[in-house]
Amino acid sequence: MIDDIRVGALTAFASIRRGNKKTLLFIVFVLSLIFMNLVFLPSMMGGMTGMFIGFMQYPYGDIVVEPSGDNTYINNADNVLQKVRAVPEVSAATKRADVGASIQYKHKTVGSSIIGVLPIEEYDISRYPYIIKEGEFLGDLSRDEIIIGAMLVEGYFGSEIYDNLGGVRVGSLVDVTYSNGVSRTYKVKGIMEGTFELVDLNAMVHYKEIEDVMGLDESKATSVVIRVKNTDDSARVKEKIIAAGVKEPVFTSNDKADAILRQATESIGAIDVISRFVSLIVGAALILIIIYINVLNRRKEIGILKAVGVTPRSIVLSYAFLSMFYVSLGILAGLVLFFVLIWYFQTYPFTMYESIQIIPKVDYLFLVQNIFTMLTMSVIAGVLPAWRVSKESILNAIWGR
Amino acid sequence: MIIAKDVKRYYGSGSTAVKALDGVTFEIKKGEFVAIMGASGSGKTTLLRILALLDSETGGDYTIQGLDVSTLPEAERSYYRLTQVGYVFQDYALINEMSAAENVYILSMMEGKSKIESYDIALDALAKVGLKGKHNRIPDELSGGEKQRVAIARAIAKKPEILFADEPCANLDTGNSKQVLDVFKELNDKFGQTIVMVTHETWHTKYVDRVITLKDGRIISDSRKR
Repeated sequence: MIDDIRVGALTAFASIRRGNKKTLLFIVFVLSLIFMNLVFLPSMMGGMTGMFIGFMQYPYGDIVVEPSGDNTYINNADNVLQKVRAVPEVSAATKRADVGASIQYKHKTVGSSIIGVLPIEEYDISRYPYIIKEGEFLGDLSRDEIIIGAMLVEGYFGSEIYDNLGGVRVGSLVDVTYSNGVSRTYKVKGIMEGTFELVDLNAMVHYKEIEDVMGLDESKATSVVIRVKNTDDSARVKEKIIAAGVKEPVFTSNDKADAILRQATESIGAIDVISRFVSLIVGAALILIIIYINVLNRRKEIGILKAVGVTPRSIVLSYAFLSMFYVSLGILAGLVLFFVLIWYFQTYPFTMYESIQIIPKVDYLFLVQNIFTMLTMSVIAGVLPAWRVSKESILNAIWGR
Repeated sequence: MIIAKDVKRYYGSGSTAVKALDGVTFEIKKGEFVAIMGASGSGKTTLLRILALLDSETGGDYTIQGLDVSTLPEAERSYYRLTQVGYVFQDYALINEMSAAENVYILSMMEGKSKIESYDIALDALAKVGLKGKHNRIPDELSGGEKQRVAIARAIAKKPEILFADEPCANLDTGNSKQVLDVFKELNDKFGQTIVMVTHETWHTKYVDRVITLKDGRIISDSRKR
């Protein structure tokens, strides 16, 4: 067997060293495209799914605790916060109080959800403070100020689809009538844009305002929003939070994404699975065709090698090595191409609806899986045709009958 | 050394069967240099391929050194070709992507010898056929005669019991043909190499000890030089 491997390697090496370099280049180029096809689209799909999950983090952070059953509020939010903050993997947590309201500016009125937040805590929890397009985020003393979502402001992305407040701008005064009939006037302190309806159709005031208006006591909230140290750990931390004695329902942003965007993510997932399967079949077929043509072109050589006493096993091994070499180079070239494209799309993201950016996500485990898949295919693609030809009669192989 | 008894090779069957060999019987002794001659289609190449285990006979018995090789399974035939038989093709049959040395030493490596040992054997064989210093050339960089000599070097490097050559000078001019035949003659005279060569050139017979002539798949003459 060792001799077969040595001779197989020698034959393959000679073929690589002195074979036609243009043919080699072409084969490697095609193989690199096959590899790219296997890994690039799923990366874009991953980016798209990641983007949806990212949207979920605005309202839900990494983990959210919500009122149980039909309750509107978590009655013991401070107690929940205490338990949550005691979990070592939790980096920050805050409470929020959402309430329905109508917002009026001049003669335009829109219905909206007003989120009561503790502004200083939000800096460690959410991206809200970082998506202010005009003006500033709320401060600890912002009791008569409001942040409004971009889709409520004329001229911003999406505002043409929904009712909006016309020409409202930073500094404008708006009247907010809460669901219990209480009205307050606020000065617009900022306009936030997350390019996502769950963010941009809402408004935001200080938590204390909601407490005052709705007559809530210190410990009431509609949600407790949690940020964990390692987002990938969310599911495990959720279990720890439950174990810490939080009785209310606990969800990760993935749970929420699944619930709210299940259809979208499932559709993407289905497309992803189909595309991977098709790419794999096409890739396998192409590798097989390339190597098969290569082997057929060398039938005479195989016949000669057999005629002079080289074993069929050695011949088959040489084609397996050759095929693995081609595919390895193809993978390398494909990886270069892949990372160039990833770099490009990370620098200049693919943009949908003017402002939604899809940034491809690199899944290294998936890359490694595909490398192994391609290498396995290369062995099969090299072995099958070479094995077939090596079983032919020597004279048929040499004279190409 | 070689005993062929009533060896037949038919293509097809029944009344339409083509009888390439139709009951050939002969014996070749160790150290003989034999030419197989005959007109085109007489069966000489078919006979050589059967003797060299590249093809199988339809009937008859064939032994090399007492071993009935006609019944050997393919794996053993392959091993026999590697260790006992050297074959020189009419069109050289070299691997174009391998240097002269690689074309030769691949078989020594197949036999389990180390690369260095195989390389030395190859250089030695190439020197024997007058190609010293040309071991690094690939076939495309060699003349027809040189290519054929590489093919001979490949065949003799493993020191086979029998060397078969199928019209080794068919693609060569007279000068190159003489060089190749001189190599054969030297191998036969100096090292006692048994050689069976197919040829249709009568002037080649001056190099050989014995001429077997075929016609329509049968031996019509078998003459030895005195």
